[in-house]
Amino acid sequence: MPVSQVRFRPAEKKRRILIVEDELINREILKTILQDDYELVLAGTGTEAQNAIHEQFDTLSLILLDLNLPDIHGLDLLRETKSDIRYAHIPVVVLTADSDAEVDCLSLGAIDFIPKPYPRPEVVLARVLRTIELSEDRDILRWTERDQLTGLYNKEFFYHYAAQLDAHQKDCLTDAILIDVNSFHMLNERYGKSFGDEILRSIGKKTLEIVETTGGVACRSESDTFLVYCPHRTDYDSVLKQLSAFVNETVLGRGENIVRLRMGVYAGVNREIDIERRFDRAKIAANTVKGNFSRPIGFYDESMHEAELLEAQLIESFPRAIRERQFEVYYQPKFDVRAENPVLSSAEALIRWRHPTLGLVSPAKFIPLFEKNGLIYRLDSYVWSEAAAQIRCWKDQLGICLPVSVNVSRVDLFEPKLIDLLLEITGKNGLSHEELLLEITESAYTEDSEQIVEKVRRLRGLGFRIEMDDFGSGYSSLNMLSTLPIDALKLDMQFIRNAFREKKDTRLLEAMIQLARSFELPTIAEGVETAEQVSTLKTMGCDIIQGYYFSRPLPAAEFEEFLMKNKPRSVE
Amino acid sequence: MTIETLAAFGANTTEGLHRCMDNESFYLRMVRMLSGDSNFQKLYDAIDVGDLTAAFEAAHALKGSSGNLALPPIYAPVCEITELLRARTEMDYGPLIERIRKGHEALKEICSE
Repeated sequence: MPVSQVRFRPAEKKRRILIVEDELINREILKTILQDDYELVLAGTGTEAQNAIHEQFDTLSLILLDLNLPDIHGLDLLRETKSDIRYAHIPVVVLTADSDAEVDCLSLGAIDFIPKPYPRPEVVLARVLRTIELSEDRDILRWTERDQLTGLYNKEFFYHYAAQLDAHQKDCLTDAILIDVNSFHMLNERYGKSFGDEILRSIGKKTLEIVETTGGVACRSESDTFLVYCPHRTDYDSVLKQLSAFVNETVLGRGENIVRLRMGVYAGVNREIDIERRFDRAKIAANTVKGNFSRPIGFYDESMHEAELLEAQLIESFPRAIRERQFEVYYQPKFDVRAENPVLSSAEALIRWRHPTLGLVSPAKFIPLFEKNGLIYRLDSYVWSEAAAQIRCWKDQLGICLPVSVNVSRVDLFEPKLIDLLLEITGKNGLSHEELLLEITESAYTEDSEQIVEKVRRLRGLGFRIEMDDFGSGYSSLNMLSTLPIDALKLDMQFIRNAFREKKDTRLLEAMIQLARSFELPTIAEGVETAEQVSTLKTMGCDIIQGYYFSRPLPAAEFEEFLMKNKPRSVE
Repeated sequence: MTIETLAAFGANTTEGLHRCMDNESFYLRMVRMLSGDSNFQKLYDAIDVGDLTAAFEAAHALKGSSGNLALPPIYAPVCEITELLRARTEMDYGPLIERIRKGHEALKEICSE
């Protein structure tokens, strides 16, 4: 029964039964037995029954059908009812004294029999009620186990059936597959929800066809994500091509190809891990090819497993790391190169994690992870506090006033208490707001930009100076430079490295520095390693330089020595 | 007609009554209805002209009703003839028809009381 036809019946309303019986006496007896508990519709001929079914199919809970009718044979009426998708869900109980007819009736879809003469009324009532209840349970099961849009299983039932598959095919190598649509939300936005639904329906249809041929189960787990659990195979390239071709042809017509699918394959699953975890692995594999149109299938391997374990370990050890101050703040100097001799103008605070068992962990490993799960705010808060305390310490102990820039993640900008916290930290350490520079990555401005820009504008209004980090790595419009609340542009390290590669081509770099100048924004180049790079950047008009040329990032104690040798302005 | 006279006729009134939810007047009304059922005459006529298909349909209908009303004097011979007619058995149906007719006449007499 199609899900849309699941009936809603108010609890107080009696269920409705159609009695198809041409013999008046039999009909009257059944009526007497059933009338207190059910609403009855009576038909004395096959034609009357056809009409009643046609008019009331969505409210009929049961049909009691006599086989010997004057105009249409009961078996024909049964066949007709069960072959019509609108009526097939109605359970039919056959009234017969002829046991020879039972096999025919069952094969045509009858659910039970009531013999003639009728059993005791209690038996008739119990049998009728049981039949209706079973049928309703079946409808509820179908309704809840299937996704309405695609007809595939829902996730919960899918996992249940996948476990059954395991139980029945103990020695069979099995694969966990995840399929989803690249940029599905964009397709929905550009072409409308019904177009998106059509994509999902066609994926569902073809996926079902594939698993019906080769064995396995499939579901739509959420939005545009489909899961398949099936016997191991090696031809996923061809499977995905078939699926993509079918989907594009269904929704767009032959030759078009705007719906791009990607697939994550965890082949030969380890059955010792939870079924849900197996699909987590398929998802990890799928994520490795996100947006990669030339390689749309990712296969889960041991390195991903190791990365997964590392991530779990890092997350688990985070609270203790904060408590035990395992995170260390390093400082890398920034030099103002506008005058003939470079002058130390500020430093960037950089985090390092000295893990008790893993050793020194690269920020590239834990920062993206903590940005994903929200722990970054706690980590950044820690760095901000450490950096502010350090500025205070240098002021007090060395008599040196050196502003330090700290990273503010995009995630931090959504924290409602961010501004209060920064004010608290600077206030607690007796710093002016411009001494704690805030580096905000360019990509932060491109997502939910209105909210972010507003927050940054408020920070700037309070006197914090904003450096746009990684400029040149993202997609921000150059036009935005005139409107964004920023005080300096920090050029992306990779961008600078590319410009100074073997075939040195610094034209774009120079154009960007000039562009920043035209907006009266100083530029900061990071990742600068050689005297030649310093000289070229200086000639181009770059204002501040940071990188190994001057110094690698240093622990606070070492940086103090560096500071003494390169004394900037003193505290007045 | 009363339950007692019906029982004396040979009806299993306990079973018949219970099937009619122990509603005596309803049960008796159904029995009266059967006594006037046109299928009796259809059966006699069909047998007379040798139309076994029509005879089967009439017998089959009577079997269901008389069975439900628990009237063995009618139900027993009707069952017998129904199975023979279902197989379209060529035979002399006279004796069976006579038993049915006898039961039917007796029932009509009770019903007219």
